Amino acid sequence: MLSGFELDLPDTLVGVLDLIADGRGTPAVPLAGGTSLIVDMRARRTMPNAVVWLGKIPELRGIQVTQDHVRLGPCTTVSDILNSDELAGSGVSLVRAAEAFGGQMVRNAATVAGNIACNSPASDLVPPLMALDAEVILESRSGSRTVALDRYFTGYKEDVRRTDELITGISWKRQEESSVDLFHKLARRKGDAITVVGVAVNMAVSDGTCMRARIALGAVAPTVLRAKRAESMLEGETLTPGLIEAAARQATEEASPIDDVRASATYRRHGIQVLTARLLTQAWGRLT
Amino acid sequence: MSIGARTKRFDGPSKVDGTALYPGDIPLDNPLHAKVVFSNRPHARMVSMDTSSASAVPGVVTIVTAADVPMNEYGLTMFDQPVLVGVDGTGRSAVPSDISRWEADQIAVVIAESIEAAVAGAEALVVAWEDLPIVPDIDAALTGDTLVHGYNGKPTNVFYDYKIRRGNMAEGWAAADVVVEATYEMPHQEHAYLQPEAAVSYIDDEGRVTVKIAGQWIHEDREQIAHALDIPDDEVRVIYPAIGGAFGGREDMTLQIVMALAARKVHALGIDRPVRSVWNREESILGHHKRHRARVVTKWGATFDGKIVAVDADVYMDAGAYNYTSNKVLGNFHVAIAGPYAVPHVRIDSMAIYTTTVPGGAFRGFGAPQAGFVCESQINKIADALGLDPYEVRRRNLLGEGDPTITARPLPIGITMEQVLEECATRTDTWRESAAERDVRPFASLPPSDSAVRTGTGIGIGFKNVGFSFGFPERCEATIELGGDSDEYDSATVFHAGADVGQGAHTVFAQMAADALGLPVEAVGREMSDTATSGDSGSASASRLTWMAGHAIGEAAAVAQKAWGDGDRPARGHYRYEPPSSEMIDPDTGEGAPFITCGYVAEAVQLAIDVETGHIEILRMVCVTDAGRVVNPLLAEGQIEGAVIQALGYTLTERLVVHDGRITNPRLSGYLIPGVADIPRDLEVVNLELPDPQGPWGIRGIAEMPMIPCAPAVIAAVHDATGVWIDEFPLTPDLVRKHLRAAGIT
Ligand SMILES: Cc1cc2nc3c(=O)[nH]c(=O)nc-3n(C[C@H](O)[C@H](O)[C@H](O)COP(=O)(O)OP(=O)(O)OC[C@H]3O[C@@H](n4cnc5c(N)ncnc54)[C@H](O)[C@@H]3O)c2cc1C
Repeated sequence: MLSGFELDLPDTLVGVLDLIADGRGTPAVPLAGGTSLIVDMRARRTMPNAVVWLGKIPELRGIQVTQDHVRLGPCTTVSDILNSDELAGSGVSLVRAAEAFGGQMVRNAATVAGNIACNSPASDLVPPLMALDAEVILESRSGSRTVALDRYFTGYKEDVRRTDELITGISWKRQEESSVDLFHKLARRKGDAITVVGVAVNMAVSDGTCMRARIALGAVAPTVLRAKRAESMLEGETLTPGLIEAAARQATEEASPIDDVRASATYRRHGIQVLTARLLTQAWGRLT
Repeated sequence: MSIGARTKRFDGPSKVDGTALYPGDIPLDNPLHAKVVFSNRPHARMVSMDTSSASAVPGVVTIVTAADVPMNEYGLTMFDQPVLVGVDGTGRSAVPSDISRWEADQIAVVIAESIEAAVAGAEALVVAWEDLPIVPDIDAALTGDTLVHGYNGKPTNVFYDYKIRRGNMAEGWAAADVVVEATYEMPHQEHAYLQPEAAVSYIDDEGRVTVKIAGQWIHEDREQIAHALDIPDDEVRVIYPAIGGAFGGREDMTLQIVMALAARKVHALGIDRPVRSVWNREESILGHHKRHRARVVTKWGATFDGKIVAVDADVYMDAGAYNYTSNKVLGNFHVAIAGPYAVPHVRIDSMAIYTTTVPGGAFRGFGAPQAGFVCESQINKIADALGLDPYEVRRRNLLGEGDPTITARPLPIGITMEQVLEECATRTDTWRESAAERDVRPFASLPPSDSAVRTGTGIGIGFKNVGFSFGFPERCEATIELGGDSDEYDSATVFHAGADVGQGAHTVFAQMAADALGLPVEAVGREMSDTATSGDSGSASASRLTWMAGHAIGEAAAVAQKAWGDGDRPARGHYRYEPPSSEMIDPDTGEGAPFITCGYVAEAVQLAIDVETGHIEILRMVCVTDAGRVVNPLLAEGQIEGAVIQALGYTLTERLVVHDGRITNPRLSGYLIPGVADIPRDLEVVNLELPDPQGPWGIRGIAEMPMIPCAPAVIAAVHDATGVWIDEFPLTPDLVRKHLRAAGIT
């Protein structure tokens, strides 16, 4: 059952930033789709006194693709991502993650900033964004800063965002022609299931050499993380089945999965290995 | 002709547009709100409960405790549970009321002006407990170190058992060329009906304690309420509004008795207001029983030509904290261990065991799915061991008309197992050849690894008794009133207690009445599911309702027609149908004829398995049933499809975690029922409609049969694909990988 709270519905960004800074004497918590926050409030895991809804500010929602960048407004929903033609060309792994995300109702409400800010290791949009080297734009009354998504999370349910800061954008560089980004999630049923293992891969190849490799892992550590040592085994190399297997094995070592109601740590470790190897094989196959 | 028509459910539109009133939705004038408080202790003795601070919470009106229960005991077939656990009294019952044996034993009902106040009152209750050792599972229970019901005088937690002793085991093993031994573990299953428990209670105009709730048998609910309140049955009224699914999960009491107590207590305070309680999903999952988890240790012998000659089995069924219907479920489980096969030499010992966990109880199939998993896995393994076709090995063992079963008596007349099996064989004839041609693309979004994806097929068959069996005094009443101004009647009203749990019973009742009376179905009105207006129908369970109600409605129609002919206006006909009796089986040998009639089923499945991820995708599935004559094919198909999907959930995804006496995933985000994307795209449902010689219009029963052979069919298909037998489920990717890894598939 929800306990009582103040709800504000400002229609300007400045209005939101004021309210989350000190508001009416008590800092307000941003509310986007509510698919995480309201669940937590019902379970009384969090009991904010004041909540500020972002849904009245249309500029916060939308996908902008320019010559060399893609920028998502924080309130862009998972359905927006799924239905976007532009992303299908410059962030297909994100579209894959959107496909595997929740159920239809949740996809219609859930937002990309909410997915990042709820700080879950199982957030599905985060591995593809991290593998795309996405950056998070944080704004507060005192200014704005940009943080690489890769450095955004600092521990389980911990991040660099101050409570007076709002995520106002997520952006990444458009990928060159000779690159591929992929995502796959293992879960216990086909829809509406929390991720057991999620892996995103982003690879660029030039002249038969792997120029860039990104491997981001979801649901296998306190935060989504990149398997950087595995990545570095691949960059500058010509990939072979043996190297791919070795890199996938390395990725399992960079994770620290746990046993929970969804799967055992053993299964998760094996899942990283299988998905990483298959995604790398597929990416390499497509680029060579 | 109304029988056989694809009549749409009368309640369909209201369920789609939201106007159907479930117990939680009924508009009430100035209601009070009740919060039922669980003990939250798997095993503990209550030392004291202080309600003073809870009573002092603003808005709290009153609190119902054990002291308010005149006969503080409950049980459908044996009284072994206090209605409310508490220190202040058992009433006239002999069941000690101060012990919580399950985390959701109820201890109080806080009644308040608002839900918030009721919850605050519940949180303010001060209860002191002395914890007792938890008995978390069968193994712990069998040591007998801690007795869950020590007061019953038995030195063991085994509280019910059945035996079968048939032929001579030594002879059986001597005749066996191949022996298949295994230990099977069957999991709990949660009903996960859409509508969590909810109830409204008040004292009606005639002074009756009235409960509106979703249940399965209004007269049984009434009897249990009257028993605990220690008042005559006719001072209690039970009404079922719309019911959001049941599957056996509403057979036992959840809110029935405590909400009756709440209405009475509020009334005694001079307050004339209805009381409502609505459980959330977590309360629903914690607070009602489950399909039993069980273990079966078994050994079967067969000859080289596939004849089964010996079956030996020990059945251990975890009943949880209270009996509920465990003794009955165990009976069904027990006699179904050898399936629809003739076996000359048999030893089976089956026992129901108390633990301090969620009770086991009725759930679609009632013991038969667990038995079916054991039996069909065994025969599939025998086929595999002998290199026989799985259909052929079954043909060689099927029980025919008049053949003695393992209880030494034949199945009821009208056995159609063979026709069902052959139809399934025909439908799957082309599977092997066409598998290669088919555009099989499982795991569409998973990057390919051809070597990792394998396909396999498997089958299972089974039967299910229709109606309560084992000597239970079955009955079903119906009343029909005819209306019309001319010489010919032109309308009718059916009065019937039977519960429409979502299966469409009320639509089917009207179709049967229309057919019997020669009226269009639109001319048949319905007065349903109110103890004030209808006689006892028995339960909406055991695949029995259409069969029993069909007999009663058909006869009541004839009585009403005669009354009309005799000039009665209105002309009423009432009939109480009592079917031929069944027998309890002998306690020492298991001999007896426990069933009235049966329905038959066969299922075949073709699946793909990714051996690296452990993920399974059902490529196609066939379910052949013989439900006898079908009253409404539209509803029948829906029900069979629903059962198959529920069975797939049981087999693949539904994993209830019960740890140290507590359910750790009482939410649908952690307990996964199949979603729409998990439903096999290619699911073929075939109904043979071979008439039951004893059934009204040739009807058999439909509800439970498709639940039975799914798990063994899927597991046989996994074996076909991988060469690995798995003797437990649900087949989560993790569990599948564990078994594949153990078999060296990396
Ligand atoms: C049934 C169900 C299924 C789900 N399935 C999935 C799934 O498959 N994959 C998955 O990843 N997740 C899933 N989720 C979790 C959830 O839907 C997602 O994490 C979602 O992206 C959260 O977004 P939201 O807009 O609803 O966030 P909200 O609930 O509104 O907010 C979540 C958190 O983010 C903060 N926040 C929101 N916007 C901002 C902002 N602009 N700046 C700073 N902080 C902000 C809020 O204060 C809050 O702390 C599921 C949830 C449910 C209920």
